[in-house]
Amino acid sequence: MEDKEKLEGQQKGRREFLSCLGSALACSAAAAAAGAVTTGAVAATAAEAAATEVPPNPAIPGYDWTQHRWAFGVDATKCIGCLRCVEACKKENNVPLDAHHFRTWVERYVTLEGEETARIDSQADPVNIAASGSESEYRFADRYRDAKVEQAFFVPKLCNHCTHPACVQVCPTGATYKTEDGVVVIDHTYCIGCQYCVQACPYGARYFNEETGVTDKCTWCYHRITKGLQPACVEVCPVGARIFGDRNDKQSVISQFIQNNRVSVLRPETGNAPNVFYVGIDKDVS
Amino acid sequence: MPRHIFRLILVILVCVVVGYSAKRFFTLNSFYEYGHYRGDSVADIASDKPKFKGVGYCASCHAKQIAEWSNGVHNSSDIGKIVKCEVCHGAGGARDDRGPFEASATGADHPKNLKMVVPTDTRKLCTFCHERLTGRPLQQRQIVVADHAGTQQCIVCHNPHSPKLNLTPVEAAAQAGDPIVGKAKAAACVGCHGAEGVSRNLPGPSLAGQNATYFAEALKAYGAGGRNNPMMSPAAQAINAEDASHLAAYFSGLKCEAAPASDAQAASAGQAIASKCTACHGADGRASNGAWPNLAGQSKDYLINAIKAYKGGARNNGMMAGIVKDLSDSDAESVATYYASATCK
Repeated sequence: MEDKEKLEGQQKGRREFLSCLGSALACSAAAAAAGAVTTGAVAATAAEAAATEVPPNPAIPGYDWTQHRWAFGVDATKCIGCLRCVEACKKENNVPLDAHHFRTWVERYVTLEGEETARIDSQADPVNIAASGSESEYRFADRYRDAKVEQAFFVPKLCNHCTHPACVQVCPTGATYKTEDGVVVIDHTYCIGCQYCVQACPYGARYFNEETGVTDKCTWCYHRITKGLQPACVEVCPVGARIFGDRNDKQSVISQFIQNNRVSVLRPETGNAPNVFYVGIDKDVS
Repeated sequence: MPRHIFRLILVILVCVVVGYSAKRFFTLNSFYEYGHYRGDSVADIASDKPKFKGVGYCASCHAKQIAEWSNGVHNSSDIGKIVKCEVCHGAGGARDDRGPFEASATGADHPKNLKMVVPTDTRKLCTFCHERLTGRPLQQRQIVVADHAGTQQCIVCHNPHSPKLNLTPVEAAAQAGDPIVGKAKAAACVGCHGAEGVSRNLPGPSLAGQNATYFAEALKAYGAGGRNNPMMSPAAQAINAEDASHLAAYFSGLKCEAAPASDAQAASAGQAIASKCTACHGADGRASNGAWPNLAGQSKDYLINAIKAYKGGARNNGMMAGIVKDLSDSDAESVATYYASATCK
């Protein structure tokens, strides 16, 4: 029986397999004993049944998570690299104010004449930190002023809130998960700080907070969007390079953004199916 | 059933029961509520307090600033460029106590507990977005800071809530004047401003060669009470807007005349101080923009009085008040000496 389950399990995810194996064990134990354990087995199958049903809503006032499908857009042709989003994110989400921990960041891609690949720097680059004069303020240094530049642009980056998130797949404790409305979040009380998810993310979107001993990442400001507000980075972007909204609403800015532009996602080959859609980036960006 | 098999099954059963009970005991009730995670954590995460409050929050008290901002280029919603209050002033909401990362300014929001940032170093703040930078899209307004305004702060010329300098309506009014009509009307002025508009130690300032736009605007300010002078105010009230434009056209066309420097040392000290003035009044005291006055060749006493009036608040101008507030009386005298002797056109 276990072998048969195993064969089926290979088609599914690791978690489904383990849960199948668990209930198979419980069932066989129940069948063998047919006594004291029966109640336990019934409870286990009941729990399995409850998980597959349409879940009720978490206790968030005035918010129904079954009604939303959040998505994010980045228009790199508009980004001016002012880094107001990076600073706002840190304030909004209590991210350590240093040059090593970021929930969102901005990269600059500069291709010089005669060079094949782009030079990439972000606000955390030592040259740029020196230009801002502080690790808690961010500014891109004008380091290419005298260079012959062929192409240059800024790309804001953040967690992609993937449809099939590798980080959630590898989490051993159920501390990180994807909500019904499409946001990948971290339950800091369940995180044991193993950093497996940091390794698994193909986008480098997660960081480990040494001070608190847990991993942290962008939540699309879940505490804001469930109150009808925009994420902090979208709120402060002065040029409208960051777009956020509900894909269930066909008239929302994000639905219109995806509909009216040739959008792309980062590293589609990883199979994570990102939900941050980019306009105006080229092959160098991944 | 052989005894050893029975014992084996018994051991397995005990393990299963103990294991399952332990799992039930240690797993929180909400863990499988929605999936393989703690269901209560969703509401926990969502319960954090937003720190960025939005323009509506600021508008409830700061109506004047909102009015300036909403008509200015920092609120160009038609092209998707909106610089909201909190981009420059920081978040209006204080941190919640739960954040383990930084304890500063927890508790009640602005205005109760949290003081907002009033940026003083605008050269730093404005250039986050407006410094010319490789990779910055061309549609963004960008400057090379050193070439644009020397070492001056941005707010000397720009109102940060509505930064675009808008001078066109004044310009249009000034152009309508006729210098010949103006000359006839100017007969009443020569007593104080000198024949041909050059003061030469008369009580009034020289008017010859002054920018027409500034001239008309100054007359209007005397008439409306924005500037106050026991001799000039009643005289200006008697001049209507049309005559003002004729006078402006007449005086702006006259040739100005600089007095030789009375004190060469003071003049050279004044030249150093005058670097603060060049962005608006021109490198040599001849303003590039017609809305600002030429200073080259102006009467020294008049310039000293003007600086004092800006310092004391008798003349009310946000830009000038900020510039002159650090000038001592001797600085004012030096800079006036310099401009009085500067070559005018």
